[in-house]
Amino acid sequence: MARTSRIERARRLLARARRVLPVVALVATPWLTGCGGHSARTLEMRTALDAGNAKGAIKALDDELDVKDPKDLPADIKGDNAILVLDRASIQQGAGEFPLSKRDFEAADKSIDMLDLARNAADSIGEYVFSGSVGRYQAPPYEKLMINTLNMLNYLETKDLNGARIEARRLSVIQKYYRESLDQKNNPVLGLGSMLAGFTYEKSGETDEALRYYDEALAFTGFGTLGESVRRLAPQGSYRSPRIKALLGEGEKDDKTAPGGPAPAANDDTGEVLFVVGYGRVAHKIPNRIPIGLALTYFAGSIQPHDAAAANKLAAQGLVTWINFPSLAPGRGKWDIPGCQLDGRYVQLEEAVDVDREVRTEWKKIEGKIIVSAITRLIARAAVGQGIQTAAGRDNIIGILASLGTQATLTALDTPDTRSWETLPARVAVARMRLPPGRHTVVIDARGWKRTQDVVVEKNSWQVVSLMALR
Amino acid sequence: MKLNFPASAAVLGALPILLALTTAGCGKEVVRGSDDPSIDARALSTGLDKDDIQRALHETLNNLRAAPIMNEWRSTNPPPNVAIFPFQNSTSEHIDSMLDALLGEAETWLVESGTVQVISRERQTQMIREVEGQAQPVFNPAHAAQYGKQLGAKYFITGKVSGNDERSENMRRVQYFLFLQVIEVETSAIKWQRKTYITKAVK
Repeated sequence: MARTSRIERARRLLARARRVLPVVALVATPWLTGCGGHSARTLEMRTALDAGNAKGAIKALDDELDVKDPKDLPADIKGDNAILVLDRASIQQGAGEFPLSKRDFEAADKSIDMLDLARNAADSIGEYVFSGSVGRYQAPPYEKLMINTLNMLNYLETKDLNGARIEARRLSVIQKYYRESLDQKNNPVLGLGSMLAGFTYEKSGETDEALRYYDEALAFTGFGTLGESVRRLAPQGSYRSPRIKALLGEGEKDDKTAPGGPAPAANDDTGEVLFVVGYGRVAHKIPNRIPIGLALTYFAGSIQPHDAAAANKLAAQGLVTWINFPSLAPGRGKWDIPGCQLDGRYVQLEEAVDVDREVRTEWKKIEGKIIVSAITRLIARAAVGQGIQTAAGRDNIIGILASLGTQATLTALDTPDTRSWETLPARVAVARMRLPPGRHTVVIDARGWKRTQDVVVEKNSWQVVSLMALR
Repeated sequence: MKLNFPASAAVLGALPILLALTTAGCGKEVVRGSDDPSIDARALSTGLDKDDIQRALHETLNNLRAAPIMNEWRSTNPPPNVAIFPFQNSTSEHIDSMLDALLGEAETWLVESGTVQVISRERQTQMIREVEGQAQPVFNPAHAAQYGKQLGAKYFITGKVSGNDERSENMRRVQYFLFLQVIEVETSAIKWQRKTYITKAVK
């Protein structure tokens, strides 16, 4: 008798376990699949960079990309791996591995473009219904412009003007697309890109093309050092714009305050050195999970009234009503002062672009949309949960559990989109100098990263010396 | 209709697991082109690939075969020395390695034709180094005639590629304009030129 009762109890337990198992599976799956979002994939890389360990950061990325060597590209670069390759490209550049950096930039450039072109309505729907990171990555304008800008720098470092011109042309294609198709005219990142493109064409002997790019660079602040170059170059070319005319003082002969003056002699024995220093890192994205009530308070201005009403109704339930969304972490090292010495004397660097500010400006433009999509996902999850409960019966305890389990699972699966190019320098500064022939020593120092480089100057020679201190 | 809850919950429970399993990474396979010729047929980017090069060369070299300069070479004894200089890439694509491959194919074709003596590329690289100096030993198209003279070449074969690269919201298209030329070293006169168009797009 006692034995029969024990068997009966065991059967009942088994039957109950069978009912509960799917719910447990639902809840456990996200943790079993272990999806921590993009920022979790790059945590080790950031930690290594914070410690000034570029090689460790590259190793961390190689592990994430599942490659054995920094010389290898991942088997699949079509998805989010493209962003990791982009990160590796920047770090390789900072470590002075310019050929590897070039290869990574070029592979990532094509993949990022492909992702952008492949993006369709399904990606947006997925982001509004399922998870913030489910759609294909869409690089913001500054990232796409910086790919070609920084890769141009790689080519200039290795004195490959042909490669630098190709990057300059690629930059122009993207710039034209933003200007004409998306009506985004003045991205400050273009200032640096145009300056490097102008330098590339100047050293290639294509004067008018160089002047055209310099003219674009002059539209942004912080390129005072271009003045001498433009005055030196202008007599050899015919390209003129109001900015260049003003710089040359043309048409303002009587104006004693005009900045132009006689062009310095072009045929001296000097050579030219261009210094480019990137330092710090732009703000990366971090995941946030906050209760809907708090989100309604934080982002009241970004939420439409009907979304707010639906969200308020859910907030009243008080259960599993969390929203998942990304936000910007603080940037690093933006306020540092980099040092650049030439033969022991300090060279005045001039800010070319504040990339971190551009990241924040771009983020402000899309933040509202991101919060709304997070709330929409919350409402979708609640609707699914209610559907399950209704199907199982209002007072069915397993129905309630399944509803809660489903909502909790969908909440856990909703990974905030923390994808971004995290290894962009927060700021980039530049300087140009003409030097007499001979051997010179350049020391660039930023954020504890240092590069010492001997430069041999000959008549009309040129050299680019850069440092990307991504600490 | 009332749903049997445990059954529906089981299905719901199984779905994410299935999803996780299906997205957990499918193994990649390495394929040999001779086993699967279709892998050469697909365009993978807006750059130039083997198929583009073969099409361009087929058309161009067929034209050269019947060109007056080829007849002149056939009738010259001893055969003239010909150098092969790099293409000038004026596009927005890093296609220099494919352009080198194209010139390599053209070089092979010329050697096999037996009508000219082709100067080895190693010697040309050495000459470029001598002319341009150690600081910047890269090919400068403006000095091509000078290289040719120093190499003792009567003609050189070179080319240029221009491109028109355009981007819209859902398409990127690159139109290539490829020119192959035979230039007489002494006069810099273009003795033969042929153009080919190639268009690639991502859409």
